[in-house]
Amino acid sequence: MKQEISVLMDGEMFEDEADVFLDKLKRHPEADRDWAEYHLIGDALRQPDHVNRDFMAAFHERLQAEPTILAPRRRQQQRIKQYAISAAASVMALALVAWLSMQVGQEPAPQMASVQQQNMIRPVAFHASDYLMAHQEFSPSADVQGAATYIHSVAAK
Amino acid sequence: MAKAGMWCVLLPLCVAVAHADPLLDDADWLRTMAFAAHETNYSGVFVYQAGGRVETSRITHVVDEHGEHERLQGLDGQRREVIRNNNQVWLQLGDKKVHFEQQRPRRAFPALLPEQIQSLKENYNVIQQEEDRVADYHAHTLLLQPKDTLRYTRKMWAHSESGLLLKAVVFDERGKVIEQYAFSQLQIGGAIDYKWAVPDEQDAARLAKRKNLSPLPKTNLANVDSGWQVDGIPAGFKKILEMSRNMRDKEFPVVHIVYSDGLAALSVFIERTTDAEGYRAGLKSQGAVHIYSRLIGDHLVTVVGEVPPRAVIQVADSVRYAGENNE
Repeated sequence: MKQEISVLMDGEMFEDEADVFLDKLKRHPEADRDWAEYHLIGDALRQPDHVNRDFMAAFHERLQAEPTILAPRRRQQQRIKQYAISAAASVMALALVAWLSMQVGQEPAPQMASVQQQNMIRPVAFHASDYLMAHQEFSPSADVQGAATYIHSVAAK
Repeated sequence: MAKAGMWCVLLPLCVAVAHADPLLDDADWLRTMAFAAHETNYSGVFVYQAGGRVETSRITHVVDEHGEHERLQGLDGQRREVIRNNNQVWLQLGDKKVHFEQQRPRRAFPALLPEQIQSLKENYNVIQQEEDRVADYHAHTLLLQPKDTLRYTRKMWAHSESGLLLKAVVFDERGKVIEQYAFSQLQIGGAIDYKWAVPDEQDAARLAKRKNLSPLPKTNLANVDSGWQVDGIPAGFKKILEMSRNMRDKEFPVVHIVYSDGLAALSVFIERTTDAEGYRAGLKSQGAVHIYSRLIGDHLVTVVGEVPPRAVIQVADSVRYAGENNE
């Protein structure tokens, strides 16, 4: 257990392993103490002037003392959150497609990847250039770029 | 040792500060760049890099008594070309040639309006950086650093004398280059060949025809209320206009709503379609520009913007109809 804690703290544990291990930590109070102690040791080694032994206990106490605020949440915030979540889901679903924009500066993607991308998601049968041209009429950055902005319409796909 | 390290970090900053032009405000640089993009005669070879690809194009821009003429011509692969004469644009991809008519009225300069500059300063830190040389021209650099992760960082190299944009790099929130371009060879001013420009008579005839069509006056554009609501617009973006426009091959007029944060823009297009089955949601990317489409009933929503992909998706997902039911 102690070795696992140390591995996790060093950031050398795989994500799925870490999930399982963190679950285990929650169920073992003694491991929790080890966890705190290891961090204390780490802190002491790094910053001997700022070691706070009972930080978690003090924090817990203060948190308990905080008044509970019972206020309705603003609706708009919830809505934004929803969008954020749905956007996140879409981003995941589209991650394969988005490689196009993420790959700058790297080696050209192998042929396999581009074939896969085309099959995974066939972009909507729209005339992308029509929308691009209409969009550029009003974009301040296009205004600064001048003719260079048309590169987005003619760049080899 | 630590001190020496700090000096290495600070030194370039000091140099940048020392070289910053006291006569020009940061925003002035942007105005000058927009002005130069429209009013300078230039021709050069331009290298563009995005998505692991590099390609070269020739760009020519000439202003004469008839207005602006510009051409971007791909130099590699199949024929790719854009020619613009004022508001008339022709796009050639391979054998296919398409004509567009832009709605943009010929601008009164400065092209960047004071409220745009204001909004830009709310969303970006504008920092003048080191002086540099691009395509053998002396350049001032400007870093536009967003105050959040909803937009891209841009660095621009402007010709010190004319303000013409010589080089531009777009970074994502992790500092990774999304796209970049730079002139590798450039002639500013002097005799520039532009025989490719469409003959004046043709252009004039087209302009005359357009006058009869009575394009929407600018004041009207902003007032169109389509009844469509977009709730997920990223912070800092303001609605610039909402208009109904005709687009090529479209059965119904397209609602076009534009938002801007002073530098980047987001366009939302909404149109009725009789072929809903033919469409699927999808993201398309070219460098820093992303296009995302989705269907809402029998309406196709398309969002275009030079913002991170998640922003265009978020915007498209938030579109809803809030007007009368009998649309």
